Amino acid sequence: MRSRRVALGIALLVSALVTGPLVASPGAVAAPEAAPNAKIERANQAPTILKVGVTQEVDSLNPFISITRTGTDILRTAFDFLTVYNQEEQKPIGSLAESWETSEDKLTWTFTIRPDLRWSDGEPLTAKDVAWTFNKMLTDEVARTANGSYVAQFESVDAPDETTLVVKTKVPQATMTSLDIPIVPEHIWSKMSDISAAPEYPMVGSGPYIITEFKEAQFTKMVANNNFWRGKPKVDELHFIYYRNADAAVTALQNGEIDLVNKLTPQQFDSLKSDPNIVLNQAQNRRFDEILINPGAATADGTPIGDGNPALKDIKLREAIATAIDTKTLVERVWSGYGEEAAGYIPPMFKDFAWSPSGDQKREFSLEKANAMLDEAGYRKGPDNVRLDKEGKPLNLRLLAHAERTIDEVAGPFIKGWLADVGINVTVQPVSDTQVNEATTRGEFDLAFSGWSANPDPDYVLSLQTCANRPNAQGTGGTPDSFLCDEEYDALYTQQLQEFDRAKRIEIVKQMQEMLNEKATLVILGYENALEAYRKDSFEGFPLQPRENGVIMNQQGYWGYYGATPAGEGPVPQFNDDGTITDGGDAQTSDAAAEEDSNTGLVLAIVGGVIVVLLVGGLFVARGRRKTAEDRE
Amino acid sequence: MSDIITPTEDALVEVPPPARGGGTLRYVLTKIGGGLVSLALVIVLGFLLFRVLPGDVVQSMFRGRPATPELMAEAEARLGLNKPLYEQFLDYLWRLLHGDLGESYVFNVPVTDKILERLWPTVLLVGVATLIAVGLGLWLGTRSAWRRGSRFDRISTGVALTLWSTPTFWLGMLLLAATSGLFPTAGLVYSDTPPDFLSQALDVAHHMVLPTVTLVAVIYAQYQLVMRSSLLEEMDADYLTTARAKGLRDDQVRRRHAVPNALLPTVTLVFLHLGMVIAGAVTTETVFSWPGLGLLTYDALRVRDLPLLQGTIVVLAGAVIIMNVLADVLYRVLDPRVRAS
Amino acid sequence: MTAPSPRALAWRRRGAAFAAGWRQFASQRSGLVGLGLLVVIVLLAILAPVITDQGGLDVTEATGGTMAPPDGEYPLGTDRSGRSVLLLTLWSSRVSLLVGFVATLLSIAIGTVIGILAAHYGRWVSAGLMRVTDFFLVIPSLVLAIALSTVMERGIGTIILAIGLTSWPSAARLVRAQTLTIEARPYIERSKALGGGHLHVITKHVLPAVLPLVFVNTTLAVGSAIVAESTLSFLGLGDPDPMRPSWGTMLRSAWLDSAVLAGAWWYLLPPGIAIAIVVLAFTMCGRALEAVLNPRLREG
Repeated sequence: MRSRRVALGIALLVSALVTGPLVASPGAVAAPEAAPNAKIERANQAPTILKVGVTQEVDSLNPFISITRTGTDILRTAFDFLTVYNQEEQKPIGSLAESWETSEDKLTWTFTIRPDLRWSDGEPLTAKDVAWTFNKMLTDEVARTANGSYVAQFESVDAPDETTLVVKTKVPQATMTSLDIPIVPEHIWSKMSDISAAPEYPMVGSGPYIITEFKEAQFTKMVANNNFWRGKPKVDELHFIYYRNADAAVTALQNGEIDLVNKLTPQQFDSLKSDPNIVLNQAQNRRFDEILINPGAATADGTPIGDGNPALKDIKLREAIATAIDTKTLVERVWSGYGEEAAGYIPPMFKDFAWSPSGDQKREFSLEKANAMLDEAGYRKGPDNVRLDKEGKPLNLRLLAHAERTIDEVAGPFIKGWLADVGINVTVQPVSDTQVNEATTRGEFDLAFSGWSANPDPDYVLSLQTCANRPNAQGTGGTPDSFLCDEEYDALYTQQLQEFDRAKRIEIVKQMQEMLNEKATLVILGYENALEAYRKDSFEGFPLQPRENGVIMNQQGYWGYYGATPAGEGPVPQFNDDGTITDGGDAQTSDAAAEEDSNTGLVLAIVGGVIVVLLVGGLFVARGRRKTAEDRE
Repeated sequence: MSDIITPTEDALVEVPPPARGGGTLRYVLTKIGGGLVSLALVIVLGFLLFRVLPGDVVQSMFRGRPATPELMAEAEARLGLNKPLYEQFLDYLWRLLHGDLGESYVFNVPVTDKILERLWPTVLLVGVATLIAVGLGLWLGTRSAWRRGSRFDRISTGVALTLWSTPTFWLGMLLLAATSGLFPTAGLVYSDTPPDFLSQALDVAHHMVLPTVTLVAVIYAQYQLVMRSSLLEEMDADYLTTARAKGLRDDQVRRRHAVPNALLPTVTLVFLHLGMVIAGAVTTETVFSWPGLGLLTYDALRVRDLPLLQGTIVVLAGAVIIMNVLADVLYRVLDPRVRAS
Repeated sequence: MTAPSPRALAWRRRGAAFAAGWRQFASQRSGLVGLGLLVVIVLLAILAPVITDQGGLDVTEATGGTMAPPDGEYPLGTDRSGRSVLLLTLWSSRVSLLVGFVATLLSIAIGTVIGILAAHYGRWVSAGLMRVTDFFLVIPSLVLAIALSTVMERGIGTIILAIGLTSWPSAARLVRAQTLTIEARPYIERSKALGGGHLHVITKHVLPAVLPLVFVNTTLAVGSAIVAESTLSFLGLGDPDPMRPSWGTMLRSAWLDSAVLAGAWWYLLPPGIAIAIVVLAFTMCGRALEAVLNPRLREG
């Protein structure tokens, strides 16, 4: 294997040496043009391929290990789950499990697995496989790497027969119908000595596609699974192609090298508007962005940790900071309007649970008001217009930001500017994502950018603000967000967890959001839209989740890729809860608009570059001319 | 990136000094010994860097996902992070001897595997770019030295210096903008290229065009300038006058005497500046998403995958050191003046 | 009338040498052009606060459109936050030049000290120092600089340190070679015979003789340091303060804001051209200076 690779490398080197100079020399324009033609020919042949550009690298394709967005997105289409969030509005429905019931004490769950399910290699898929997967996670710590929390409260898992699965839990668990655990085939995985090992390809799976090839930092190839219980997808192959640089992915979409791409920036999205072959999808996102204000971090047992500025313990100061952040302008400038203005903690996409401040609760942006609040609270202005805290020290705050994240890079200077206007000196500190995470977990911050993707069930994001979620003495063991620790909030949290009446639970969740708004330990900045684009000359469309304003990629399920419809192959399917398909419902997509030729700019850029080269060359010509005269001996 | 070394001929021609006394064997042994010391330094530096970089690794492995303290303690023990420092160093040495560079935190695979996978694209890119740059530089340098002061000399030297002065990544960005749609802008190969060898090779060559051109544009200048100046020096040498006096034509003098002698310092330079070319590969690979070691290094830094970072730095630096020892030895073998003494 | 003291004599001799050097330098047009460019650019950088308003760098005050092309009000268009690219380019010269100069001084200082010590002291010190120098010369300096700037907090100081600490070896080798040549001269031997200690020999004889070379090397190295700064900033290791932009951070913003894709040439070109011009100017100056000091290279 390795020697073959070496041989390949050498041969490539030789061939590149031959073709390289040819193509590199300006005269040989013919060479590059040959390739696009070859590509078109290729496209005319079967099979149909959906090529998806992704900008995040796959961490692992081991379903027990992978935690990245891209990794889980791929695995979700390769391995089915007990239940899946439906396409319509992201409510849990059965997938491998046909139905389920709960005991009176909510501690025993009995799932009925669909009969006659088959793995992609033809072996039967039964409750035994599910039981093996869960039990493996209970007995092997490595198997708990990615999704361990779901089974943390499992007492036992049994499969009395091929279609019955019984799970006993130690305490009532609200997430039993949304276990995000890929089910793996026992007949393959039980033979593996090391569960964390890189899987072999093709991977035997149960989802709409199976993984056949993975090239690190390049691509993951999947082919349609004939044995998928909902039926074989229309597309024969699904390729996820990694682009480290999002611009390159957009160019690739324009060139027809890929068919679908997401996570676009507003600039990229706008630059695609002029392309008649590209359809844009502006979707609601399940994510919120926020600024954390450290109210005095402490561990789970209440010992103060970190080095947050103690002045921020004053709620008046936090309120003034929140008042001095203009979220409206941020939505405009950061997301160029492709986002929704800040409201409550739960993103508006989840209509039921979303809350929006009204009347007095609402903090309208006003620098005068923020200044007045600070004056009133006794923060005098010192030299350089920087206010002094209660101990007479100037108010210097650090703002932790994720380097290379658009919102942080763009919003940081704005927040610095506004707070400077109210007499608070902010230093933006962009660091790697992990550093932000570590520093915030240890309470080593004053202000910090943060944000979470909420699930259809709000439990997880709500739990982030509880006392119990603060870290232990070593600064580990919890995933705190703003270090809010409030008895009343915690009480409401416990209450909503045990409330089985949905309407009542919604009320409690809204009350909790009101509290979060009041305490001002975090400032919601807004909800970025998910911007996606695909080529309509190769694909008719994709089922969106949720059906209204939903996304194609990174769904909580496999609908988008499963229902991908090649151009000319009829309407995009819409999936009903019972597993049936409604045809025709046009996928909601914002159509291409505006025609603006951005190429003129590029041409000018090139001309400019050439001019500079000529100019400098000219300088040397002048210099050399003098030299020749004196060079003669 | 032509980042740190200056484009002056004197600074560029850092030819190893001829050994004083002692035979070839002793010279070679000294060089190898020096290389080994450098390697040891790299290994220690790799470990220190890895230790000094602050941050709780285990915490970062779980952030964004629910994790219990027990899960974290398990992970910590698995990674050996709870042992004293000297024990970790011994562990590190022992495993290094067995070709084991630890396990990547982010990718959950052995670092050695990851590096091996990324090695070939970088070898390919750096190798091809260096070969083209050396060829181009030698040719242009020879021509401009031979026609010193001509329009060709002035223009080619001017262009070389201009390209040398621009940041690699900027050049790459301009190329991206200028060739929009002509070449693939990222990656190594299309995913739907037929698996047969010829199609794959052509596709890789196609993908390589932009990164290679960028890298060549920035690094060829040094070879051209050094070739030019060492050829000029040779041309003033007495033996050339003698050769001309013997009635040899200019062309013959150039080809038989001047060029071969001037070639030596330039070729040595190829190895000495390999570190610089690799630095150039980091930004080039970043701009063109070329899946090589440079991109891996940068990504490892970005996500703070410490074992991976340690691995790439040790491998990159180690490779450059070994190449340099080879260059020194080759120089000794090739240079008639040194050999004779 | 007293005879001029030896010190005055030395100064007079140096003055004459300087004048001769300047005549040599002035006879090379490229050197003069480079110097002229540098003077203009440095003046612009110093005068930036006088001729423009720094307030224009504050995003909250920005009035321009998002990445708008050049027009009457913004001769070089605007960046993503609506700030004038012309203003940004002008202010960026301050940080870029500052980093270039200070990092070079640091690296040259380290290089000079190590080079002189290695040449002046005997075998073991020399061998040890040169081994370290070779080590730093060989390993990819950019990779090391990236690692250093990641470990330390982001900012101008870190960038300066990262560049200075990784770029000194070539200076050290040059200085060492020069020192060896000088120490071989008879007057050094005489000085030693007369009882001059190490310190005396180094500061009174070696250093003055080595300094011109160091000066040339500094000129050439500033350009490299500026390019290195732009590279580190481009990779996201630069100063994050929006009020202190550099050409590298501008290019990084242009890259992150998809200026290539949007065809925003007014955003992409100015910082890169500025870097190229400044680096070229330093290179032209340095080469001319080198020709003055090194007759072998003298082309005129």
